[in-house]
Amino acid sequence: MTDLLDRIGAVLVRGIVQMGEVSRLLWITVRRGPRRPVGFGEIKYQTVMLGVRSLPLATFMSLFIGMILAWQFGWALQDFGAKMALGYASSLALVRELVPTVLAVTVGAKMAAGIAAELGSMKVTEQIDAISALGADPVKKLVWPRLVAATLSLPLINAWSNVVALGGGAIIADTVFGVPAGYFYETYIDELVPMDYLSSEIKALVFGGLVGLIGCHHGFRTEIGTEAVGRSTTDTVVACSISVIVADFFLTMIFLPV
Amino acid sequence: MTAPGRIADRSARPAAEPIIRMIGVDKAFGDHVVYRDMYLDVPKGQTTTIIGPSGGGKSVCMKMIIGLLRPDRGRILVDGADVTEMGEEELRALRRRVAYVFQGGALFDSMTVADNVAYGLREHTDLSEEEIDAKVRACLDMVGLSDDLLDEMPSSLSGGMKKRVALARSIAMEPDVILYDEPTTGLDPKNIAVIGDMILKLQSELGVTSLVVTHDMPMAFRVSDHIAMLSDHKFPFVGTPYEMATSEVDLVRDFVHGRIADAP
Ligand SMILES: Nc1ncnc2c1ncn2[C@@H]1O[C@H](COP(=O)(O)OP(=O)(O)O)[C@@H](O)[C@H]1O
Ligand SMILES: [Mg+2]
Repeated sequence: MTDLLDRIGAVLVRGIVQMGEVSRLLWITVRRGPRRPVGFGEIKYQTVMLGVRSLPLATFMSLFIGMILAWQFGWALQDFGAKMALGYASSLALVRELVPTVLAVTVGAKMAAGIAAELGSMKVTEQIDAISALGADPVKKLVWPRLVAATLSLPLINAWSNVVALGGGAIIADTVFGVPAGYFYETYIDELVPMDYLSSEIKALVFGGLVGLIGCHHGFRTEIGTEAVGRSTTDTVVACSISVIVADFFLTMIFLPV
Repeated sequence: MTAPGRIADRSARPAAEPIIRMIGVDKAFGDHVVYRDMYLDVPKGQTTTIIGPSGGGKSVCMKMIIGLLRPDRGRILVDGADVTEMGEEELRALRRRVAYVFQGGALFDSMTVADNVAYGLREHTDLSEEEIDAKVRACLDMVGLSDDLLDEMPSSLSGGMKKRVALARSIAMEPDVILYDEPTTGLDPKNIAVIGDMILKLQSELGVTSLVVTHDMPMAFRVSDHIAMLSDHKFPFVGTPYEMATSEVDLVRDFVHGRIADAP
């Protein structure tokens, strides 16, 4: 029993230490990153690498989330004879919650794992030290463009995914439950207020920053040896999932005060 | 073994003022002690070679000099300024003057050879692209590589070529001090000679101070003004090549004759 408590304690301590380290990295990055030259070229390149390459996965995920959620709600509403309310019922959960969160733990975790693997292998082959040795700043050169790219691309992907999820819901509404797609669309949009879109985008923005930072942090602290890169990458996925869910909880509290 | 007679003339040069001083340095990783109360002076404008077993801490020594690693105790002075107390900007200035050539090359594998060599120039100078290109070609020539490699990616180069591109990247900045970490390991005899010539040429023509780690005793005797031998967490023997070659101390003789075991 005490053994179990010890283990839980150790995990919590490690989590808190990591939070401290990630916050420190964020602080250093926003302090040094914007200095000239800002590095727009590299930011653009990273945005393409991280963002555009994630579009197929994001499209696929959000299409299915839209379809699954419409099916669940359609099935439940049918019993009350209220299936025409399907658009009203699905929109809030999808836009405010499911699309940004599922994106963050899939597309976002993929971005972070990619960053961690890339920077981790640079660390192992001393390329990060080489940047320092040549008088440049690894945080500025590596972390800054990736952080900006991740923070920008997740909201963009999120906006697109919201459209796709709506489409997925409309397909199921129309073909399975006999709710016309046009009617589904109108009721879906009708239910949403600008704040709902905004909170969806802000969540995606925060999640994007989180996964970018966590990926860089794990890449940078990769230890010596090639197996260490694998370990960093797995740690990154776990850290991303946990921090996204926790951040989501707090953001939801802020956006939906009781 | 090189005959002592051949090396005597180089060792006749008087020792210069030290440009790098390591004073009472301790360094450990966890409970693995690498240095304990270590002292080393590197004379200005001359070539000092470090010899010692693998895993003994030769790379750690060089990394401490440019502030990539911090000693646990002691001072490391470069031109009188303490590296251990330097902030971000001072370290940046230091690293412009003191180049470290990584043992494994540490080339940026996402960049071409040309961009690797030009990295420091783009970071620290306002040279035009034409000037940078000319400089890059000249540096590759210095290390015996042809211009054909300019657009190659590091992954397509052999180990020896990577090493020489890394050398070119370090000399491009025209540093005052160059720390060469095993620059010839894995090279063929012809290219070992090229690198040896380069070290001698940089020193005689530009007055560059060199600190070289090598396992290659003929190379050490050829290029060095001083040889420092790493043993037991410090440098107990520092002397001219002549003094090393004629030493009566068993440990030195064992090393010079290639009878030394790697660190545990
Ligand atoms: N960053 C590091 N973290 C932990 N241990 C290290 C680190 N760098 C070097 N070491 C250890 O210090 C010792 C000396 O390493 P090094 O200086 O690379 O030896 P060498 O003389 O072969 O260059 C080795 O045992 C190595 O494992
Ligand atoms: Mg070494």
